[in-house]
Amino acid sequence: MEIIITQWALDSYLNLRHSNVFDAQYYWGTLRPDVMLLKNHPGDPKFQNDKFWGPAKTRSALVPNGFKMKWRQVGNGKVQLRLPVLLLSGDAYLCEAYVKSSEKVDRRKMAKFDGHAQLIRQGNFIERGRLT
Amino acid sequence: MTTDLFEIAQAMRVAGLGDRFAARALHVAQEYRGVAELMQLWVESEDDPAERDETVADLQELLDDIGNPVVRQKERWVRFDDLDRVAADIMAFKDALRIEVEKRSSLTELAEKTGMPLPSLSRFFSQPSMPRRATLLKIADALELTAVTVESEWAH
Repeated sequence: MEIIITQWALDSYLNLRHSNVFDAQYYWGTLRPDVMLLKNHPGDPKFQNDKFWGPAKTRSALVPNGFKMKWRQVGNGKVQLRLPVLLLSGDAYLCEAYVKSSEKVDRRKMAKFDGHAQLIRQGNFIERGRLT
Repeated sequence: MTTDLFEIAQAMRVAGLGDRFAARALHVAQEYRGVAELMQLWVESEDDPAERDETVADLQELLDDIGNPVVRQKERWVRFDDLDRVAADIMAFKDALRIEVEKRSSLTELAEKTGMPLPSLSRFFSQPSMPRRATLLKIADALELTAVTVESEWAH
């Protein structure tokens, strides 16, 4: 499976690093290796762990082919980080990561991801790179 | 309980988000469930101004993405090791642009002229996300800035 970095994913990385949500060490030691597991999705047992991986849901419905990667106790702020991922035609599209500081934030970001997923399905997105 | 989208658009107008923003949100919500949900969440966050502002900013970003569609566009790839420098470049660009804005106007006035809600402009200037060309052109048009002033190598 190819792991595609969308503009939304890149922008969120820049914003989260700017806010010191995590440092380079955490990125290389935890985040990146976890995201690389998508290469072999759903082979790794971590994808059976609902504390790490689960369906993306808006308030009213599931996002078709949408999932969330989850991390807890991230950085000095000990925050919860979420990375929405769309699995489509054998590829994984990384979308806008965010700090889940409340249920309200989660609902808002899931609604936004629903829109991003729709744009990706229509072919309307910017690819900024691939994780290799 | 959900509120009718037309009523929400009216409430957005009354709240000062601008006719263009409210009308655009209402129109796009017919086709994009994510936009309709963000409008609902805006209504429900009446007692939480900070969350309401974030909802407006997210809604504006999604409307911009939908309104300026690209066809599976590949932009220049950026090396991971360069990302900190890229973020610093973008913040320097936005800081300089904000100075130009404040010489001529204010963010509030810019919001009125561009039709972009204030929370959206505040987020734009405070985060190192890569700027959309459409946003830069709106700012340039509103303040009669030169093309050079709004030129960024990281715009998309």
